Order: sequence, then C-alpha cells, then structure tokens
Amino acid sequence: MTEKTSLGKIEVSPTAIASLASRAVLESYGVVGMSSRSLGSGLAELLRRDFHKRGIEVRLEGNEIIIDLYVIIEYGTRISAVVHNIMSNVKFSVEKSLGVPVAEVNVHVRGLRVSSED
Amino acid sequence: MVDGKAQKVQEDRPLRKHETGNPILTCDGQGLARLLEAGTAWLERHADAINSLNVFPVPDGDTGTNMLLTMQATLEEIANSPENSVSAVAHTAAHGALMGARGNSGVILSQILRGVARSLDKKDEFNASEFASAMTEATATAYKGVIKPVEGTILTVVREATEATVTAAAEEEDLRLVLEKVVNAAKESVARTPSLLQVLAEAGVVDAGGQGLFIILEGMLRYIRGETVEVDFALETAVDLHVPSEDEYGYDVQFIIQGQDLNLEEIRDTIAAMGESTLVVGDSATIKVHIHTEEPGTPLNYGAGIGSLSKITVENLQEQYQEFILSHAQPSVALSVTSEEVCDIATVVVAQGPGLARVFESLGASAVVPGGQTMNPSTEELLKAAENLRTDQVIILPNNSNIILAAQQAQKLSEKNICIVPTRTIPQGVSALLAFNYQADLDTNARVMERAAGEVQTIEITIATRSVHLNGLDVKKGEVIGLLNDTLTASGSSPKQVIEEVLRQMKAEEYEIITVYYGENVIQGEAEALAAKISQDYPEQEIELVNGGQPHYPYIISAE
Repeated sequence: MTEKTSLGKIEVSPTAIASLASRAVLESYGVVGMSSRSLGSGLAELLRRDFHKRGIEVRLEGNEIIIDLYVIIEYGTRISAVVHNIMSNVKFSVEKSLGVPVAEVNVHVRGLRVSSED
Repeated sequence: MVDGKAQKVQEDRPLRKHETGNPILTCDGQGLARLLEAGTAWLERHADAINSLNVFPVPDGDTGTNMLLTMQATLEEIANSPENSVSAVAHTAAHGALMGARGNSGVILSQILRGVARSLDKKDEFNASEFASAMTEATATAYKGVIKPVEGTILTVVREATEATVTAAAEEEDLRLVLEKVVNAAKESVARTPSLLQVLAEAGVVDAGGQGLFIILEGMLRYIRGETVEVDFALETAVDLHVPSEDEYGYDVQFIIQGQDLNLEEIRDTIAAMGESTLVVGDSATIKVHIHTEEPGTPLNYGAGIGSLSKITVENLQEQYQEFILSHAQPSVALSVTSEEVCDIATVVVAQGPGLARVFESLGASAVVPGGQTMNPSTEELLKAAENLRTDQVIILPNNSNIILAAQQAQKLSEKNICIVPTRTIPQGVSALLAFNYQADLDTNARVMERAAGEVQTIEITIATRSVHLNGLDVKKGEVIGLLNDTLTASGSSPKQVIEEVLRQMKAEEYEIITVYYGENVIQGEAEALAAKISQDYPEQEIELVNGGQPHYPYIISAE
C-alpha cells in the first residue's frame, strides 16, 4: 500500500494493517478468539494474544485493501449482529488510521466458545 | 400491549402513592415483565438523544435505535407470556434479546439479560440479594464476550451499577431503594465515561450505550416508584404534545463529514450559526452534524467544502410533525418500530410521463427523475436525486442514450458510490430494474442488470420532425417512423402499419412477452385495438398493454 506525497512515498505494509485490524477485532464485542487460517474449521483454536495476527489476512489488490478475519465467537450471542459489528469496527478503525478506504472485510466464523451452561 | 401497560400504570399509580411507606421486597415474573416494558418505553423516549451521542466504536448514530430494537424484540417475546415465575420470564426475555440483538450495544444488552436469566434460573421471584446476584452474573456474562473490554462504555456502566447493587442489597431489603441506588450509580458511571475513553472526551459526549443502559434502569425505577414513563400513553401525549416553533417548519439535516485535521470547534461554531438544535460531535477525522434549518443546502455546502460527506439525510420537519400527530391520534398504536432500510442500494430512474413513473415506482425504483427524449435531466438533477437517497450506493438507469453522459458526470461529482447501467430505452430500464436483486452487491447488480437490459428488444414509434434519407429509407416530415433498438428501420403513414412492419423485422414470433406502452396522446381504445391486432398476428405471444403516458412517442414496445 503506497501513497505518493510531495515529500516522498508512504508505504504501509499488510502486517501493519493487520495490527490495526487486530486491535479493532479484539475490542469487538462477541469475539473471544482468533483462529489460525491454516487450520480446518474443525481444528479452530483459541490463539494466544501474541498470535492473534495469525487469524488476520490482509491482501492488497491494486490499491484496494481486503481483510479476512478468522474468529471464534461467544456462544449465545447473535452471530449476525456480532459479525456485522466486527466488519464496521474494523473498516472504520483501519480507514480512520490510514485514510484509505477498505474495500472488503470478510469475517470467517471458525468456531463458537461455550463458556457456561444455560 | 401498550394499552394494557398504560392502564396498568394508571391503575397502579394511586395504589403506589398510598404504599410509599411499604417496601417492595420481591418481584415476580409479571413484575419483571412490567419493569422491562417500562425500561423500553423510557428508552424509546430517549432513543434519538442517545443516537446523537454515538461516536464509539463507529460514529454512525444508531446506538439508541439499536438498543431500542433489541428491547422491543425482548418485549415481543414476553408480551403474551402468562408465566408468573421470574425464571421463565427472564429466560424468554433473554431469548428475545438474543434473536433481536442489533449493533454492539444490542449484543451486549442481550448478554446482560442472558446473565440475569442464568442467575434467576428456577426462581419464582427475586429479592434484593438475588437481584444483586443477577446483576453480578449479568456483568460477568457481559465481560466474557470480549477479549479486550474497552472501559468507558456500557460495560463499565453495568459493572459499576452492579457494584452499587451488591452494596445496596447488603443494606436494604426494599427493591425500590436498591434500584434507586443502582440508578444513581449508573448515572455517575455514565458521567465518568469521557474520562475513561478519550474519543468521548474529544467529542464532548458521554458513552451512548452506557447512557442507554442508564435510561433503561431509570425507566424501571420510575415504574416501581409509580411515576409515569410517558411514552405512548394517551394521557401524556395530550399534555405533552410537542408544538413546533417557527424554526421547526424547516428541515432536519444530518450528515457525517470525513476529512483530515478538521477543526471541531470552528465547525461547531459555524454550523451553530446556521440553524437551531445543532449538534456537532466527532474528532479531527470524522464529525457528525445534526441541525434544524430553513435552508438545508447551507450546512451541506459548508460540510462539502471542508471534507467528504456521507450518511446525508434531509427530512421535512413539518411532515414529521404531521406524522407525529397522526400516529398519536390513534390510541392503539403499538410501540413504533423504526423502519428499516430494506436494501442498501437505491435506484434512480429517468422516465417521462406519469404512467412510466408509476411503472418504475411499482418495480421498486427509489427515485424517478422526469426526463427523456428532448427533455434531458441535468447532471445536477440526477446528482440531487442520488444524494437525497438514504443509501450510499446508487444505481442510475438513464433510459436514453443522450442521458448517459449526464449520469456519468453525476457519478463523478457524487461522494456516493454510483453505478450506471447504460440503458438506452424505457423497456431496457424496465428489464434492468426487474433483474435487481436486493441481496446482491452493487457491482453484481450492475452487471446482472446490464445483461438483462441487453436481452430486451425495443421498438419506439414517433413522428419524423424533418425529412431525412437514412438507412435506405426516405422519410418525410410528419410521417410515422419506427426505431428498432435506436435505429430507424421503418416509416409509414400510420402507427399501426409501422408497428406491424417493425415487429416483422424483429421476428416477434421468437419472443415470449410483448409489452405496449402507449403515450399521452393515444386514446385507450385505440391502444386496445392495436394490442388486439398484435395478439391476432402473434397468437403464441403474451401481449401486455400499459398506459405509459409518455410524450413524443405514441408507442413504445418491448419484446423479450
């Protein structure tokens, strides 16, 4: 992701964008974990805090930012609402920090965490 | 439901006044249901104010609405429940909230109710200490749902309110006194949110979700005290009828400015000078503006000058006022449900004549801009139509090759995401609109619609305005001419003769449906006779006759 200004070039790496996205995801209500994208859905795991970026994939197609998120959601929340919130939180916070539009935020729900019996 | 509630409150009120000294020690299932109703009614009254506080996590001004919709879903679920055990009502309520949860705060609210239900499981009623346990479980459940809880939000408010509940329940048995302390704690907690969350302090607001929770609790307290929660009560509206002052005959304008290094103070002062009831919140990158003004263009122009605008809504206050009066004139209205956008893509269609406008509107066009042959709408008219829509994604159907360029200019000028499906004729526009899919995204729709438009054949019948030699035809001024897909292919003395000729050229027998739109100067009987003749010539095809009312073209015919 590069941008030219009168003073020089600004370059933002996908990893940096992933960090921004990571923060927004972890603060999104209903998300209780991220899952490594290399694992099948049956093997979703709760990643340790430091490894949260493994559940985030940032692609740059042309000048468009596409973010894929692999998440674990709290059982008993309304998944569609939670996912919608994640999308808008991530889009807003990345756009706010970078000043560049995010084309897509795709959320892959890799699992649900059952934290207690109802 | 509302009626029942109103009655209940009125019946209860004198009773409760006498009972002021008697403590309320327990609450059963129906009691909980009434409390939730009161909280929701109070929230409904404050939803707009809460919306305007919404700057975190995304400043989209919908927190109040989302919480209200979540609570209304909760009420619907328990509305007809005859259950008297608090366990059953709490579980039903939690289920309703889960299914109806909207937005961040709605999801959190559903988790709070879930915690309450879990704690009250198998209980017929609850007392003060059980109420404290329920709040404790609610907070625990709410916090479990997020990895990094952000303080200064509804989470903080529920946690601090719970702490107050535990303390109060240890000292008091009267639920009324306990709830009083809880509400006070929630209020103070909300007031502290700006010191915990910087974005709130920058915008000069308290947290919207936290405020929503406080309002719900306050509504419950008012009910338990026998005070009115005012919303939708016939009695109250008669007294509390909102009379618009002079300035409210203007427009309600809301939009979001996005830019860089926006000077909030300066913008706030400038906007404030433009009208009444102004609200300007946000930060250096995003600012939400709300204003009542006679001239909606002034703040919009100003905003567009300093950044890019989005989520623009302009509403006529006088109209709103009339609707308000109407809706309150009917005593049996249920809790009003905020209308939801069915789709986030809108369509702007160019068409001339009342009949065609009706056809497009019935097919779901969001706006019809008048215009067509010899009367092309300006770029500005198209732009205005697109900008006035509530959605950020717009598809324009020009329906005339001469209007495509103006549409493209509107596309460039607009901040919205506009797609043009280059329809050249009215039938192409109709086919394109029929192909519109509410669930597909903008690009997919544009593609599918363009393909659909390409599959329809269009015949236009009109009168030659000058003599011309074209495509091997000698046309004299005043003669009837027929265009097949925008190309002159036939001429003659009567529309009927020309139509027959073009239908033959087009091989109409290969199509399924032939639609005839007759124009403003065509008598209905004449059109019916023509349709009957076509039906006779093409017995296998289905013929439809539509009063298009379009000028210049006595007939427009499509085949597909």
